[in-house]
Amino acid sequence: MSPVDKAVEERERERPQQTTSDGSEGIVLRVERLRKKIGRKWIVQDVTFQVRAGEVFGFLGPNGAGKTTTIRMLVDLIRPTGGSVTICGYDVRRQPEQALAYVGSIVENPEVYPYLTGWENLQHFARMMPGIKEQRIAEVVDVVGLDQRIHDKVKTYSLGMRQRLGIAQALLGRPKLLILDEPTNGLDPKGIKELRLFIRRLAEEGLAVFVSSHLLSEIQLLCDRVAIISRGRVLAVGAVEELISENSNYVVWELSPRDQGMKLLELEGITIIPQADTVLDDTIIAGMGEEAVVTQMLPENVRHIIPHLVAKGIHIHGVQKINPTLEQLFLELTEGEGIE
Amino acid sequence: MRELNSMIPLVKNETIKMIKKKRFYVILLVLLVLVPIFAYAQLRAAEEKRSKFGADWRREVQQAITDNQNSLGSDRVPEEWKKYRQIYIQQMKYYLEHDVNPRQPGAVAFTKEFLDNAATLFIPLLIMGIGSDIVSSERTSGTIKMLLTRPMRRWKVLLSKLITLLMFVSLIVVSTFIVCYLVSGLFFGYKGFNLPVFTGFKLQGADVDITGVHAVPQWKYILMQMGLIWFVSSVVAMLAFMVSVLVRSTAASIVIMMAALIAGNILTNLASSWTSAKYLFMVNLGLTQYLAGTPAPIEGMTLGFSLAVLAVWGLASLFVSFLVFTKQDILN
Amino acid sequence: MSKNNSTSRIWRMTGVLSLLSTLLLIAGFSFAVKDVIFPQAAQINGIPDQNKTGLPEEAPGSLPSDSKELSVTAIGDSLAKGTGDDSGKGIARRTVELLKEQGAESKLVNNLGINGLTTEGLKHLLDEKGVQYSLRQADLIVLSIGGNDLFDGAQNLQSGRQLPSEQELEQSVTQASEQFAAAIAKLIEINPQAQLVYVGLYNPFSDLPMMREIGDGAVARWNNIVTDILSDYEKVVMVPTFDLFAQNSAKYLASDHFHPNGTGYQIIAERILQSAY
Repeated sequence: MSPVDKAVEERERERPQQTTSDGSEGIVLRVERLRKKIGRKWIVQDVTFQVRAGEVFGFLGPNGAGKTTTIRMLVDLIRPTGGSVTICGYDVRRQPEQALAYVGSIVENPEVYPYLTGWENLQHFARMMPGIKEQRIAEVVDVVGLDQRIHDKVKTYSLGMRQRLGIAQALLGRPKLLILDEPTNGLDPKGIKELRLFIRRLAEEGLAVFVSSHLLSEIQLLCDRVAIISRGRVLAVGAVEELISENSNYVVWELSPRDQGMKLLELEGITIIPQADTVLDDTIIAGMGEEAVVTQMLPENVRHIIPHLVAKGIHIHGVQKINPTLEQLFLELTEGEGIE
Repeated sequence: MRELNSMIPLVKNETIKMIKKKRFYVILLVLLVLVPIFAYAQLRAAEEKRSKFGADWRREVQQAITDNQNSLGSDRVPEEWKKYRQIYIQQMKYYLEHDVNPRQPGAVAFTKEFLDNAATLFIPLLIMGIGSDIVSSERTSGTIKMLLTRPMRRWKVLLSKLITLLMFVSLIVVSTFIVCYLVSGLFFGYKGFNLPVFTGFKLQGADVDITGVHAVPQWKYILMQMGLIWFVSSVVAMLAFMVSVLVRSTAASIVIMMAALIAGNILTNLASSWTSAKYLFMVNLGLTQYLAGTPAPIEGMTLGFSLAVLAVWGLASLFVSFLVFTKQDILN
Repeated sequence: MSKNNSTSRIWRMTGVLSLLSTLLLIAGFSFAVKDVIFPQAAQINGIPDQNKTGLPEEAPGSLPSDSKELSVTAIGDSLAKGTGDDSGKGIARRTVELLKEQGAESKLVNNLGINGLTTEGLKHLLDEKGVQYSLRQADLIVLSIGGNDLFDGAQNLQSGRQLPSEQELEQSVTQASEQFAAAIAKLIEINPQAQLVYVGLYNPFSDLPMMREIGDGAVARWNNIVTDILSDYEKVVMVPTFDLFAQNSAKYLASDHFHPNGTGYQIIAERILQSAY
């Protein structure tokens, strides 16, 4: 029996039963009460979440919230002070060789060796994993669409190309979990869009993707579920839609005459927000007319309100539902503590 | 066996990186530039001597003996130097006694001389050139994250770097010889491998015990020199390795190693009466002097002693390197 | 894929070369450790091919004969070395220069003068192979010896502390002359063909009143004995210097009041030439 076969066999044997009775099927990454203290400061406190196969999991928080520290603990770059990270059933601290075999990651920037070609970089990383053949390198190059430039030195690559090379190396080992730290950093809008589609496709193929970001919009567009972290603590974990709709939604009305309309809305028991710029993004406010009235209400109630307005002879020029921003979400989750 | 199998690709990686980073070429280039300069200087010195003594080395050596004897009488010469000169005189007399030219010109003799002089500073500097950034460069560039998120134990990653470094230490020592021999051959001719060299002078105070003196052919002498230099270089490499693990910046780690090496050279030249200095690794780098029979910089130093001191330093730095590297958090 | 091959080639080359280098160096290292820590007993005869190339015994005559040059070697004490001569030439080099001026091809083989050498020291020196070799190369050997036996180094006298008494000087002369005779015999045995010039003693203390008389006496006695010894040999001459420094000590002595200065050496060299050729 060749050493490789033997290694594979042993790995299979060592691997704990995946289907356990607690209903954790499909959980690729399990983070439990993860804590990290550096110096006297708690950088990460009691972070707990799970990521399942086939989902894109967002890790949302402002810069300095502890995202990077958490990610580094996931891939064994930082030793946690407490808690555990389990990948496909293997504890990252105790069995890093087994656990990390299921992970492809880009921590911060995709750092590769500039004096090697893209291909040589991939060979380099492939040699550090068991059983990766040249053919697999060609496959991932094809997947990220770098085949034209793969034999050029990496120092001639653009940032976007490096990012793709980074993803290619992350995919080399056919991981079950892909960890991407702020993957859209430094990419142009077209690149961001491509990346988003690419990540979705990977998830559809059954990969668990863990994406960190400080942009809510990105998470909204990309992720199925999200954990929101601030000051080292997870504030909420859940499906992106739930988290957003659970909390208040905004509806913007454009009515004339404006004052009459507002009065009527108030009579219907709807909260009118006098200063819209405190809750809404500048970009959204810029898109609204002068006369717009911002209200906080459940979107499904809109259809009950409209007949009342029409009956009173008020013209409705527009009704628009607006999702809250990350900042707002934070405001609500932290009850006004704010982000900074 | 399985461990070894997983090590080989890692060593291969490090080797390819080392070559592709062109560090080794730079070192060869440094040798190719500097050796001709030294060889030319040596050639000029030899020409000058020839104009005085003709081709007659015996007269030259005898004159050197006489000149040194005269300086022994001078009160201006420090006692320490007198000891050196006395030993030198006795060795030269031994060469004349046995009618062997201690300074037979030729590429082999030049190489022998060069290796003696390069052992404590020049070659260690070259080693540092590749050793100081072998770990810290991965940190500076951030690629350390890529390395350590592979399904590989950290100690294996570090060990592969150490093995690669030691491979290149061997290559550098041998290349120094090859470049030196080939280049100086252009100046002095390529002969001299079988000429005898005397070794085995034992020093007892200012006296030389010649009972153990015997001749070895120059090729063997050079081989022995290279072996000793290899040992020194390996230890220097291990120290540079440790500094490279401990210090994040490549520049800082080079500066630290340079300072240590140069401090060693200065300490050696001070021929200090501070005898505890002999436990410092830097003053023990001149292993080839035990072969040549030149007195050690500090009383009480022998080859066995120096080897032991260097081995302890080397092993200690490996211990620290592995301990720190496997435990350390990668924060940047 | 060509790129792929290049890295494989790098690895194979570097791997094999470094492995071979390491093995070679380990071998060298173990040789060295064995050699330094357990040196084998001297086996000088184990290098016969070397001894063939040129034993010093074969050398004499061969060099002087194949060149018409007159080779000069100086041996002895500080006077032979040229101490006190600001130009650093000393007797030997000045003699060579004078010879050249006269049109004779000439060169200095070696200046083997050692400061403070006594007749006893000279005897030991003549046992050294290198010294013998240099002497054999010479057509003209300039010897200066004896001053240190009589005056026991310059320092004591200059500080005026231990001035030798007349008796002590007497004794020194007697002892030294015996050593001298032995040394001369050895010297001539080493190179019987060469012209040997012995530089006679002078009294360096003719300007010191208390030393003038006893010094003069001792030097005169020495010179007489030496002349006697030398008269047994053919190609040996003695160049007197006593008279030079007796009258013109200020002119010919260096600032140390003991050694000749440049002018003094020049006069001695001239006398050597006159008496030897």
